[in-house]
Amino acid sequence: MSGDALNQAQTRSWLPWVIVIAISAVLIAIRNDVSWLNKPPAEILPIAEWVNVYMDWFVDTFKAAFRKLNWLLNWPMGWAQQFLQWLPWPVTMTGFGLLAWLAAGWRLTLFTVLALFYMVVTGYWVESMNTLGIVLVSMPLAIVSGFFIAVMAYKSPRVNGFVQPVLDLMQTIPTFAYLIPILLLFGFGPVVGVVASAIYACPPMVRNTILGLQKVAPEALESGLMSGASRFQLFWQVRVPSALSSIMMGVNQTTMATLAMVIIAAIIGGSADIGWEVLSKMRKAQFGQSLIAGIVIALIAMMLDRISWGFTDRSRAIARAHLPFMQRYTPWFIATIIGVVLFWLAKLVPALSVWPEQLEFYPAEPINNALNYVTGTYAHVTDAIKKSVLFFYLLPLKVGLTKAISPFSWGITFEPWMRLAFAGIVALIAAGYLVMGKWRRAVAAVVVGAFLYYGITSMPWPVIILVVTLLAWQIGGVKVAALSFFGWLFMLLSGIWPQAMLSVYLCLSAVLVCLVVGGGLGIWASQNTRVSNFIRPINDALQTIPPFVILIPFLMFFQIGEFTSFLAIIAYAIVPCIRYTEHGLKSVPEHIVEAARSMGTTKRQLLWEVKMPLAIPEIMLGLNQTIMFALAMLVITALVGSKGLGQSVYIALSSADAGKGLVAGLGMALIAIIADRILQAWSERRKMALGMV
Amino acid sequence: MKNRMSKGLILGAMLGASAQAMAAVPESDEPIKLAVNEWTGQHISTHVAGEILKTMGYNVEYVTAGYYPQMQAMEDNTVSATLEIWSSNIGEHYDNALASGKVVEIGDLGLEPVESWYFNAAAKEKCPGLPSYEALKGCAEVFANAETFPQGRLVDYPADWGTTNVDRLKGFELDFTSAPAGSEGALIAEIQGAEARQEPLLVMFWQPHWVHAVVDLELVELPPYEDGCNEDASVGVNPNATWDCDWQRGYIKKMAWKGMQDKWPAAYKMLQAYTLENGDQIPMMNQIDKEGGKLETVVAEWIASNEAKWKPWVESATQ
Repeated sequence: MSGDALNQAQTRSWLPWVIVIAISAVLIAIRNDVSWLNKPPAEILPIAEWVNVYMDWFVDTFKAAFRKLNWLLNWPMGWAQQFLQWLPWPVTMTGFGLLAWLAAGWRLTLFTVLALFYMVVTGYWVESMNTLGIVLVSMPLAIVSGFFIAVMAYKSPRVNGFVQPVLDLMQTIPTFAYLIPILLLFGFGPVVGVVASAIYACPPMVRNTILGLQKVAPEALESGLMSGASRFQLFWQVRVPSALSSIMMGVNQTTMATLAMVIIAAIIGGSADIGWEVLSKMRKAQFGQSLIAGIVIALIAMMLDRISWGFTDRSRAIARAHLPFMQRYTPWFIATIIGVVLFWLAKLVPALSVWPEQLEFYPAEPINNALNYVTGTYAHVTDAIKKSVLFFYLLPLKVGLTKAISPFSWGITFEPWMRLAFAGIVALIAAGYLVMGKWRRAVAAVVVGAFLYYGITSMPWPVIILVVTLLAWQIGGVKVAALSFFGWLFMLLSGIWPQAMLSVYLCLSAVLVCLVVGGGLGIWASQNTRVSNFIRPINDALQTIPPFVILIPFLMFFQIGEFTSFLAIIAYAIVPCIRYTEHGLKSVPEHIVEAARSMGTTKRQLLWEVKMPLAIPEIMLGLNQTIMFALAMLVITALVGSKGLGQSVYIALSSADAGKGLVAGLGMALIAIIADRILQAWSERRKMALGMV
Repeated sequence: MKNRMSKGLILGAMLGASAQAMAAVPESDEPIKLAVNEWTGQHISTHVAGEILKTMGYNVEYVTAGYYPQMQAMEDNTVSATLEIWSSNIGEHYDNALASGKVVEIGDLGLEPVESWYFNAAAKEKCPGLPSYEALKGCAEVFANAETFPQGRLVDYPADWGTTNVDRLKGFELDFTSAPAGSEGALIAEIQGAEARQEPLLVMFWQPHWVHAVVDLELVELPPYEDGCNEDASVGVNPNATWDCDWQRGYIKKMAWKGMQDKWPAAYKMLQAYTLENGDQIPMMNQIDKEGGKLETVVAEWIASNEAKWKPWVESATQ
């Protein structure tokens, strides 16, 4: 570790911490006497109103242009939907089967055919094809625009500097926050959903593409240059192929995100798609029905993702290219013949064009009954789980041990000697670190101790601003510190501070769990192919089945409130942690692993001392995405009664107040961006310390 | 088209001015688009109206539309009319739509919503004094859970629907906390979860709603609404507090694209006259959500057996 060199950096001194801790101690001591410390003013600057004024102007000026765009996008979508409706289902199945075979062989073909057959027998064919029509427009839109934005950002640092924060905003400002403005701009209809999902889905594509392009080894470029490649060739034939694994990660995540947004498109309405079905069932809290419909969305996502993934593996195409003409096109011939035969057969056999209702397979009732049974039978178990997590983990983070410990919750009163003991333990740990010369850990112990004792939501607001900004300054320098300071200031002045703190607490508590559990699962999956194969479809399903579907059983077990919200955030936000950890560990170059092995490292050493440090950039990207996803879930958890910024967005939506919605959305985005910048800066430092840069 | 027109002209000439409008129905073959929102009751209200319009010869299209977004859609006839707008949860969108000048309100649907506190069978067992609200005073702990203990828990409307229960709980001096549910789905999951666990539940809910077909919910008897009780402490049961009476009953509106009056005058008049009462909607809702009937068949049956109700609307519209 070359940490000493870093210690000398002027920004990283312990003195400011002593000052901040002293000020904080004073503020905490007097917080009950000075009311504005605990209760920040409601609204100092009418930011929401300013936004509304600007928005009115913007909508009036550009409405006509956006309405034209709506009209334009409606065509390809209408065509796709009508074409898919017109084709008898066995023919569509044959077509996708062929695609799957070309992409990855018979296994994927089998999966694709079965997935489509599921849509037939559950009676959701029409809705599924409407959804596919929407996705076939919005997914390419997100992928292609994402790729080109990434290329521009990669080529110009200035563009990159502009693009990065915009990406964060696109991913973190919830769609509901700008639903009113885009409805006003685009008018009503499914295109609004397409636009909204493209906005939300394109950032992972951009990020991964940039990351991939940056990681291309200089040796590869040099050998390209030496073989006389033009700039164009160098880019398309050296850089892009080398970055392909990262780019495909982006395609994968963008596909998933597009499908995740199907439900938003449905909220606007305008086409009878599968999202609408899920929405109607969710509104009735019919778990069986909404699960059956939600699985359709997950299946479409997996199908599209696997097929696109398969096509990037060029080995199949190359192998085929060497076959004689007849053999090369055999699958095409067979598929065409099957397709044509089925098409005409469908005119004779009605079941092949419209699946008869009597043959539908719709096991909603048994699922609902099972859920009811479990809810009723295991009430004491679910209750015990809820109570222990709530009392021993969530409450201390929220209101601090000082309020969390009560005879009702912990079964004891928080006696003065216990308080002293707690303070003593924290002081002891801090002193221990100081003696060892690790002042940073000592400071961390004091800060964490204080937050545990008083709780995030009860901390006077200047303490939060001071601590986070100082942290940002020491890790990331002046820029990150300024971002943190003005970000928190915005939340304070626009009057959303209390909601923001509730959101911070809820997301933080969930992200910590994601990091530990998700990271662990990711490591396991990277070591074990079976685990990896087992986890992958679950991850896909978690990310693409509309989250509220999973929420229904949680609601039945645990009732509305924070615990259910906490679980919901974990269920959704844990996925990137697992994925990126696995991906990062697996993409450590083989020659390094070989070299380490030949030096006689144990498996453990190989993982923790070779692979792990090299995988840090990917893992940090995963953590970044986890935080983004957690914040994105706030809008969903507001539907099960969590308070905070998510709730503010809905309140703004119901009062048609675009400004208020955007301010709350921006608040979420700022929290995400501040967290991200601090993490990124930290990861850079780690990399530098390890000599990776 | 041409044929029908000329027939209409002849008929009109024969029957005089009053019949002219009828003869011209439908004024246009373009489909009238009725908004379909996300709940069964609304599906029934919409399909009944749509089927009646079809008997008049109109082309009717049912368009799925979000509850708020549909207001935007009505401004340019992407949606021609919507028939079940609840005063309790439409918020500012109602006023904004009217202010646009392109959307008009076309009267009450006639459904009578009841919004108040409901309790389930398990609650009655554990707190035998119910349905009187006074019984709740001694029963707070019966309704408590980990998050609210020792206070009782009132599962409340989502915050964005606007709720006055915090004030009401104070007004009635009940040791309860309002726990906002966040969405209709969450309210129903709470109701069904409590039913599965046989746990007492006190919930802010409404009628007509399909869940009453599946779960037994009873109304808490609150002191009746009096004018001024929400603003004036001296009115109502508690001399020291406001909000100490039942809700004032809300209303349910029909709304339409303004241009409908000129484009399809008879259809517009029919929708104005159209009403659907609790006694009509609730049995249909039960047939669909309890007995698993199909919306289309249930509505068709109602249309067939209730001609006496809807024929006059058609006649008055085409005169």
